[in-house]
Amino acid sequence: MKRSIIGNQAVAYGALAAGIDVAAGYPGTPSSEALNELLHFSRSAARGNDPSPYVEWSVNEKVAFELATGAAWAGKRALATMKMSGANVAADSILSVAYSGTKGGLVLYIADDPGAEAGMPEQDTRLFAQWAGLPVLEPADPARAYQLTRYAFELSERCELPVILRSVTSVAHAKQEVEGEYAYKPLKRKAAFQKNILRYTKAGAVICMDQHRDLLERLKVAESSAAEAGINRLHEADDGAGLFVVAAGALIPYVREALSAGDHRRLSTLFLESVYPLDTELAGGMFGAADRILVLEELEPFVEMQLRSEASRLGWNGTILGKLDGLFPRVGKYSQEIIGRGLTLLAEGRKGGAGARASATGVGRTGGQPAVDPTAAQAAAADTQPAASTQPATPLNVKHPITFCAGCPHRGSFMAINRALKKIGLDRDNTVVTGDIGCTILGMNPPFHTCWTEVSMGSSIGLAQGFYRAGIENPLIATIGDSTFFHAGIPPLVNAIQHGTNLLVIILDNGWTSMTGFQVNPGTAERFQARGDRRVEIEGIVRGMGVENLQVIGPFDQEQSVEAIVNALQQEGVKVIISQAECALTAARREERTQIYRIDSEKCTFCRSCLRETGCPALYVTANGGKSKHGQVMAIDPELCTGCGLCFTCCKFDAISRQKLGGSST
Amino acid sequence: MMQSIFMTGLGGQGIITLANLISGQASEKGLKVSLFNAKGMAQRGGRVTSEIRMSDDPGLEFGARISAGKADILIGMEIGETINSLSFLKDGGAAILLDYAFVPTTMVLKKEPYPSFRQLTELYVRKTDRIFAVTEAKHPYNMFLLGVFSTVAPEIAPELSFFSRERMEQAITEKLKRGLEENLETFNRGCAHGHSLLQRV
Repeated sequence: MKRSIIGNQAVAYGALAAGIDVAAGYPGTPSSEALNELLHFSRSAARGNDPSPYVEWSVNEKVAFELATGAAWAGKRALATMKMSGANVAADSILSVAYSGTKGGLVLYIADDPGAEAGMPEQDTRLFAQWAGLPVLEPADPARAYQLTRYAFELSERCELPVILRSVTSVAHAKQEVEGEYAYKPLKRKAAFQKNILRYTKAGAVICMDQHRDLLERLKVAESSAAEAGINRLHEADDGAGLFVVAAGALIPYVREALSAGDHRRLSTLFLESVYPLDTELAGGMFGAADRILVLEELEPFVEMQLRSEASRLGWNGTILGKLDGLFPRVGKYSQEIIGRGLTLLAEGRKGGAGARASATGVGRTGGQPAVDPTAAQAAAADTQPAASTQPATPLNVKHPITFCAGCPHRGSFMAINRALKKIGLDRDNTVVTGDIGCTILGMNPPFHTCWTEVSMGSSIGLAQGFYRAGIENPLIATIGDSTFFHAGIPPLVNAIQHGTNLLVIILDNGWTSMTGFQVNPGTAERFQARGDRRVEIEGIVRGMGVENLQVIGPFDQEQSVEAIVNALQQEGVKVIISQAECALTAARREERTQIYRIDSEKCTFCRSCLRETGCPALYVTANGGKSKHGQVMAIDPELCTGCGLCFTCCKFDAISRQKLGGSST
Repeated sequence: MMQSIFMTGLGGQGIITLANLISGQASEKGLKVSLFNAKGMAQRGGRVTSEIRMSDDPGLEFGARISAGKADILIGMEIGETINSLSFLKDGGAAILLDYAFVPTTMVLKKEPYPSFRQLTELYVRKTDRIFAVTEAKHPYNMFLLGVFSTVAPEIAPELSFFSRERMEQAITEKLKRGLEENLETFNRGCAHGHSLLQRV
């Protein structure tokens, strides 16, 4: 059966076809849709009483990976999903589990983001995998993502190692036709976990070093298994010009496209979708026939480093064109242009030099001529921008800063913080408010300019303690969303309580993991929890930790919110405020609005206080004259307004009024 | 045949729906189609782009993303973002440009000038003479532009002659249940506008 699906969905269906029993993840662009799809599948299967795997959004990636590991150690097949930054959170467990290996197939799906379109580091998971000692599969497109996901479970069981399935945004979010079974094929294995101290504990140096040896042996099995399965493909051109293009993962289709469009018949190819460990036999075959090798891969020179090291081991002395000699960028996506220039460099550069035609034994020596034409080399390196370049090309370029949606409760929280600081005479430029990951970080954008930092999940509370210990005298505020609090905010709060910090933690609780697409989290209302799951209340957690100074506020009630913050800032110790109101978007998808606000153009003086303080996207400038001296007034888009009333609290001229929908204004 | 369509605008404008409907027609026609939506910040008023690539050769392999200078058609739904996307259009490519600006709060407050539609078209004119300036659009803009696109696409490239008002009406009826009447009406107005643009060209 063929369906048009994105790469992440293809991973989900590949896993279903592989018969997984358990899947767990933490949302993060560009990986989220994989687990979303599994969750949809399992829900509809449950309705029809059909079999389905157990699927959950875990509290963080480390927990998700541990959950999947437990299932796999009991012999089941299990999948864990996360974005690249999530691998850092799970790292402690991943590196340890790598030593123990696995019984059932254990696949770790990690989506990287060359070009940083989701706005995090351009971290290359392949280097992480090498560090952990885990095999890496890197699909070229959604169709291959489906096939390689299925294969990843086989590989994992063959070599008894967790396998990292690494994707990038261009594959994870590309919607293409994928041939697949689109069905769950449960393996019906019986769960059994055998006690084995030598394998599943780290009790002593001997055990640890034995496990390290086992890991290296398993990596060898992984290499031969992937070679046997023919995951990587070497194609030698007929006239054997000794020119090879090596392309990894997501770049393969672009290279194929360039090869079919241009006159590149003389170029041989090595397409790699199993990038670690290196297929040394295939690489050796290439070195035996190659003079010059072009390596095309995004981000770090991962394949290139392995090839250079293998070339050195073999004594091959041809030329490798890649990133390490500065020819290709390590920053951003590769555009078709970069690929095209690389191919030209490979094909034409040869004219300039004699090249290093290797002998049949794979060993050859060159003279001293430069490997590449320096001009051409500079041309290839010049384009170091991401392919989807949004760099200013003209003086007219504009940037649309992202902001809170109309009706977002976080807007109220940040307005209240700013108002509270003003009320007690604290200079905003001298009062550190740390921010955290998720929608709440938009508090750093205009018009709020409230948040100072954004580092990693839960870091707002830890960083604030650092500022406190450094001796910063003004009160410190940490802001964090509900899901981020559950994910990684609890341990640093425990730390703050234990060590007696002066800190106000404001938990902006909108009940959902919204930034990534409204996934459920432990604090989501009971009625939206999966069947059998229960809600965990933040208030109870914080009280249970021993925080006595705790207030729960509603951010749309500005008077109450400002007072609560002012109050807390004037006290010693750890204070927690939970600012609670549901995400405006999830609410709007379910419920009709009961009221909106409007601006009386006769009363509006165009002072723009409403816009300056709320930055609400429902507010706009219109040319209606009215009493305004400016010939312009503010207006509210009745389609966007949710009736939250925050702009109402800004107007000194009584120009904003409430309008009951289906009723009269008040 | 290989056609790449690059679309850009802001969250909330319905660009993903527009892209889904256009790529859906190509899939139905039996073409090999790839659709990539970059929508991470869509609901917070951020930039949204859609990249559609299609080919009638089922054996042809191609990547999902459109590189700079490789878009055969560019559909711009917001002046600022369309200016930001100028580099994607190939020389001589077709540009469907909507006269709509969303001025960011910061620029309103600082009274910074925002680029005008005239400035936008002046930039694009340097790259192509095939510009369809959509200046009389009605809400919802995505449906209006879908009407324009369905009408002008067959004139832009003969390979795109499978786009038609009738097929698209059917697709809208099947895919969009909410506000169907308004969507269809706006779509048809867009078709009419497309016809008048063709006469002007």
